[in-house]
Formats: sequence, C-alpha cells, structure tokens
Amino acid sequence: MGLKFLVVDDSVTMRRIVVNSLKNLGYNDYVEANDGSDALAKLNADSSVNFVITDWNMPVMSGLELTQAIRTDSSRNTLPILMVTTRGVKEDIVQALQARVNNYVVKPFTPQILKEKIDQILANL
Amino acid sequence: MQPPTNMSQIFDKLNDLKEIFKFGEKIVPIIQSIISFMKEVVPLLESINTSIADSTSQIPKAANQINNVTSATELATTEILDLVDDISNELISIDNYFKNHLEKYSKKKDLYAKLFERISPESEEYKLLKEMNELEDNDGSIEDIKSRLQKVNDDTYKITLSLQVQDITAQQLAAVTHLIQQVHGRLASLVDDIEHAEIKDTIVDQHIVVDEKVHFDANARYDTSGDRQKAADTVIDDQKRKASQEEIDKLFS
Repeated sequence: MGLKFLVVDDSVTMRRIVVNSLKNLGYNDYVEANDGSDALAKLNADSSVNFVITDWNMPVMSGLELTQAIRTDSSRNTLPILMVTTRGVKEDIVQALQARVNNYVVKPFTPQILKEKIDQILANL
Repeated sequence: MQPPTNMSQIFDKLNDLKEIFKFGEKIVPIIQSIISFMKEVVPLLESINTSIADSTSQIPKAANQINNVTSATELATTEILDLVDDISNELISIDNYFKNHLEKYSKKKDLYAKLFERISPESEEYKLLKEMNELEDNDGSIEDIKSRLQKVNDDTYKITLSLQVQDITAQQLAAVTHLIQQVHGRLASLVDDIEHAEIKDTIVDQHIVVDEKVHFDANARYDTSGDRQKAADTVIDDQKRKASQEEIDKLFS
C-alpha cells in the first residue's frame, strides 16, 4: 500500500511547502489540515492516511495535543508522526518524543532532511 | 482638696500645647514646602497619566498593524508560491515536449540507419541523406537545454523552501503582538485606577485582535545552517539511547 500523508499546519505557506517537498520526493497522495482538531476529523474521515506530518504551534489544537490524541487511540497508536516545527530547544524535543512522535524536524527544513526523516521512520516500522 | 491638682493639670496641658506650637512652628515650613512641591508635581503626574493613557490607546493600533503585516506577507507568499507552481508546471510541460522530441529523434536516427544500409554509399541519394542526417543531429543541445531546465526547476524549488521564512517571521510577529497585548493589559489596568472617564472610554473602545491561546514560538529563527537540526538529532539520539538503556535495565532488574 502506498503512502498517504496528512499535512497539518496552520500556515498555508508551510502546508504548500511541505506538500511541494513531498511531491518532489515522489509522494503525491496527501490531505491537508489546518490544526490538530481538523487533523483528527480528517483522520476519522479518511482511514487510508498512513503518515502524519504536523506542526507544533497551531490554534485550537497543537501538534503535541494531536500526537497525544492519536497515541491514546488504540487503532492509531502506531501511526507514523513526524513533527516539523520551529521549536528547537531540548525540552521541547524531549516533550515531543515523550508524546511519541516518531521523528522531529526543525524549520526551516531542507528536502534532504525531510526525506531522511521520512525514510528513517519507514525503515523502523 | 482637688483644685491644686486641676491647676497643675492645666499647666501641664498648657506646656503640652506650647510644645505643640513649637513643633508646629518647625513643621509648618515643611508642610508649606510639601504643598508647593505637590502643586508642581500634580500637573506633572497628570501629564504622565495622560501620556500613559494616550500610549495605551495607541497600542492596539500597533498590534493590529503587525497582524496586518502578517496577513499581507502570507498573501504575498501565496502569490509567489502560485507563480512558482506555474513556472514548475511550465517546466514540466517543456520537459515533456523535449522528451517526445528526443524519442522522435531516436526513431529518426534508426530510420536513417536503415536507409543508409539500403543505399549505396557512392550514390547521390546517400550524400543527400547524410546531409539531412547531419542537419537533424542535435549535437547534444537538447540534453543541454534539459539540464538547464532542471537547474531552473531546482532553483524555483529553492525559492519555495526559502519562503519558510514567512511562517517563521509570522511567529516572531505573533510573539511581539502577544507582548504588546500584555503591556496594553497592564497599562489599561493602571489607567483604570485613575479617575479619568474620558481616557478610560477611549481605551475600552480599542481592542487588540489576538487569539486567546498562544500558538507561536517566540524563539523561532530563520537559521539555514542546519545547526539546530543537528542539535535536535543529538537530543533524539540521546533520548533513544536512554530509552534503550532503561529497557535493558528493566530486563535485568
């Protein structure tokens, strides 16, 4: 089964950049959400989503809260989650890992880093 | 008999009164200085209060202007991304055109090769065919154009990636707006204590449009050195090692 990404970011710019990067990497199947709450609704509506790329700082529901919500749902607790955020301090990264994100990318990202992190997650599934 | 005692008490009271007058003589100039000082200071304090109130009423404008800047940059970034997408799509269609052209060229080459086999090298037709073949030879120019197009495509993608700066500056501006909102709140409560109905009304009327929930990173930075990612990777590796060690320890405990 191919990969279907859920790209979650409140910034339209960032969503487009992530989506363009995914397309450049050959991943053309994706859906978008503008916050954690919207993302959960999209996940409920589309069971074929099998990879989440989320920002941290978002209104309504943050990426961290989204991760926690996904991990407490037994049907989705192994769903790959890649956090892509501006937050680069140790405490934040530790907090994200404790919430069980699979990997962590600090913005601004390069396509190489995005590819590397996606590949790492897929290799460990 | 009580009167002597009463007289003595009266004298005591008179002495007390005398002391009070003496003290009064000393204190009056001080009180007069305080009053004259107050006369000078009160207008100054009022002026400060008015300044605070004026500044406070200007703060929402500044905050809203920052929000407008963020909206404008997001709009402009979207327009740039639209144009970049258009350029990329054009490049894809040009690339496809060249792909088709190269396929046709390859087929033509095969046909020429077949014709050369069938015609005598001494014949006039052979010479003409050779000339035609040479004219159609692309000398690698199509490959060169294709690689240049790829370079343009790569550069447009780099433009896309650079636009991440918009999200980062938007977060920095959101942090500034949040700070302004906090200052505004404090100043507004300070002014609220002053009996200055007119000013209070002005401040109450003005409102900063900022979301209740903080959803920005005040430390967001546009750092393309890769150092922050390296630092993040180190933390991730450390955490993974720690987690693995804990699992091993659990097994042996």
